[in-house]
Amino acid sequence: MRDNGKFFVGFGGVALVVTYLIWTGVSDTMLYYLTPMELMARVAEDPTFHDVGVKVSGRVEVGSWTRAEDELLHHFTVVDLEDKSVRFPVEFRDMLPDTFNDTDVVDVVVEGRFREDGVFEATVVLAKCGSRYEATAEELLG
Amino acid sequence: MILLGELALWIALPIGIWGAVAGFVGGRKGRGDLVLSAEYSVYAVFFLLILTSAGIITAFLTDQFQYWYVANYSNRELPTFYKVSGLWAGQRGSLVLWALLLSLFSSAAVFTNRTKNREFVPYMVGVLLTVSSFFLVVLLFADVNPFERLPFAPADGRGLNPQLQNYWMTIHPPTLYLGFTAFTVPFAFAMSALLSGKLDARWIVITRRWILLSWFFLANGIIFGMRWAYEMLGWGGFWFWDPVENASLLPWLTATAFLHSIQIQENRGMLKVWNMGLVTLTFLLTIFATFLTRSGLIESVHTFAENTTIAFIFLAFMGIMAGISVLLIAWRYPLMKSENQIQSFLSRESAFLFNNLILLGATFTILWGVLFPLITEGITGQAMTVGPPFFERVNLPIGLALLALMGIGPVIAWRKASRRNLIKNFTTPVAVGAVVVAGLYLRGVHHGMALVTFGLSAFVMTVIIVEFVKGTKARASIEGEGHLLAFFHLVSRNRRRWGGYIVHVGVVMVFTAFAGAAFDREVVQTLDPGETISIESPFGHEYTLTYQGLSSPRGQNMVRQAVALMTVEKDGRPFGSLTAEKRLYRMWEQSPLTIVGIRQTLMEDLYLILENVNDLGGAFENEAQAQRATFEVQVNVMVEWIWYGGFIVTLGSIIGLWPSRGSPTTTASRSQTGGKRPALAARS
Repeated sequence: MRDNGKFFVGFGGVALVVTYLIWTGVSDTMLYYLTPMELMARVAEDPTFHDVGVKVSGRVEVGSWTRAEDELLHHFTVVDLEDKSVRFPVEFRDMLPDTFNDTDVVDVVVEGRFREDGVFEATVVLAKCGSRYEATAEELLG
Repeated sequence: MILLGELALWIALPIGIWGAVAGFVGGRKGRGDLVLSAEYSVYAVFFLLILTSAGIITAFLTDQFQYWYVANYSNRELPTFYKVSGLWAGQRGSLVLWALLLSLFSSAAVFTNRTKNREFVPYMVGVLLTVSSFFLVVLLFADVNPFERLPFAPADGRGLNPQLQNYWMTIHPPTLYLGFTAFTVPFAFAMSALLSGKLDARWIVITRRWILLSWFFLANGIIFGMRWAYEMLGWGGFWFWDPVENASLLPWLTATAFLHSIQIQENRGMLKVWNMGLVTLTFLLTIFATFLTRSGLIESVHTFAENTTIAFIFLAFMGIMAGISVLLIAWRYPLMKSENQIQSFLSRESAFLFNNLILLGATFTILWGVLFPLITEGITGQAMTVGPPFFERVNLPIGLALLALMGIGPVIAWRKASRRNLIKNFTTPVAVGAVVVAGLYLRGVHHGMALVTFGLSAFVMTVIIVEFVKGTKARASIEGEGHLLAFFHLVSRNRRRWGGYIVHVGVVMVFTAFAGAAFDREVVQTLDPGETISIESPFGHEYTLTYQGLSSPRGQNMVRQAVALMTVEKDGRPFGSLTAEKRLYRMWEQSPLTIVGIRQTLMEDLYLILENVNDLGGAFENEAQAQRATFEVQVNVMVEWIWYGGFIVTLGSIIGLWPSRGSPTTTASRSQTGGKRPALAARS
């Protein structure tokens, strides 16, 4: 394309700026995405990991949810999907999504910091009722 | 009816495949009979898919729970409205809707080109039916058949997710799908142009209305989704950078780029290869958007379910389509030489080009963010994620650059802008922008990015208003018309240009609304009946809400509601009342749904959330003691501007889409073919 020397200069410029934005954006905001088991392994290996923001996916333990009276403060326990003995308590100060409950099978993604006292201080909680999405024939029978 | 629908689905596939083959072979060999047969196949597939959809809707309306799909997405008491929308409530039905809309647009494309542009038709039909057939194959063989039966008939269905029992949610997916599927038509024309070697701007002239139509549906679909999120999902938020939201944004961004870059090709004969690339990319991104929703590859609140078969089929399809398109473009590369070159950075070409590059940059950053967990896991074995902070940080400067270009593009001269052109067109808008920034700063607005946004918005608005005023005045003095009539004629004589400016006004309003969100406020408080919450808005209004207590009615398909009533005073004067609720829907009794109360005004929304009732069970039973509840009150600034902006985008798009009598395209092609339907135009 003989015609577009300037085109390529512009392209290069924009590409550079976008690359820079992505690069700095990623390095400043990216989070580890872990399972509870991986989280435990990480902090056992490296205690400074308590200060790093992480995102963890697991399942809400049935009957573990308590809510402080008159205050936006929730506590619940997240267990690992594979090894049910791996678990940690979560503390969350905001409104929980409607899909959250502790009576059904609820998968959650919590984002925040795993404190040194062993409590996960969540800033974001996403919940998905795993069983409610699509049921198999056997589940429909029951 | 249901059996007929199922049968129709099975018949549609062989007809679709036949039509695709007939289209390609007919085009290649110049066989008019085959091409005609292919065109009839398009209509036939459309008709059959109407039957299929009607079959599914019938199954919903008559509570046929022996069908797996109905059992999973409906229940007896579900309101009729939501039973009909059950067609697109889940993955299986929404694939049918996709195929249906695609066949609708395919039929429209064949019908409108029955007597013109015949040289493009055979391959276009071939491409359209190939895509249709792909969706039919998925429906029939990827374990998502909507007519799958259970070995028994459950007494009742499992109900529709209450979050989907909302007006906006019923129109949001079909509108998006209309946008996604409509884009297949320009793609099919582009591929046809490549295959037949007719690579002048004809294919663009023919399809630009289609492009705008698709763009318009995508824009509205995205806005409807924001509306739903604002009322239902987000409790005051309207965009979460969720993977599926992002996926719907991607083709919209590239379609926006395409809408602009085709103007360079039409006016200056440049960017031919670029446009081919963009049309292909946009088409692939529409498929990617469904793929992401359906495959469960990336975690999102929207994803239907994990289905690896579907993921694989979609990936293969995207790979094949991308490969073929790239090969075709490479093959025809010598025919797509640019007729001109860019003469100056200060020109409309250059502004449009930067618009394109920046839009593609935004597309790439969002795509990168969405795929980041997969990329990092693939490379390092450890998944990393990026969330809203990443998307906001990266897209804020990109959005502001686009906003600036929106003011520059329309008035900068083609080829090379002179000093005079620049001074004449930009002095007033820049001054207005600066005055707005200064004025707001003095009034106490010190949020940097918001100030920049407001300033740029004022700049763009002034550019557009000045253009309208100049155009109207010129016309009024030349034609001797009154100003109103002159304005009307001005717009109707060049709908594309002025419609485009009106769309820009809408987009600027949406940008302004985003900046307004920087000033949102909220208060959380627990109240007994008779107690009050006060909140001061950024505009200095004082809202006082007095809690009047809970009542517990029961709406259709619900077990119970707990409705909190608040009387509102604004600056000490009565301002009506607001209710906020918890609802317990049938079949979803473990998860109460939060229904917010919104009082909308032009500049700020008063937004009430019933966060928690201490004794919700008691409240549902209407117990007098169970009244104590926690509320969140928000003042959301300028949210209404998003919806009004969307309305103006719609208005501008309709003006652009409105068929103009005797447009050069239709007359030119009519005279070429002599107005008769030729068996087939000359083969390539």
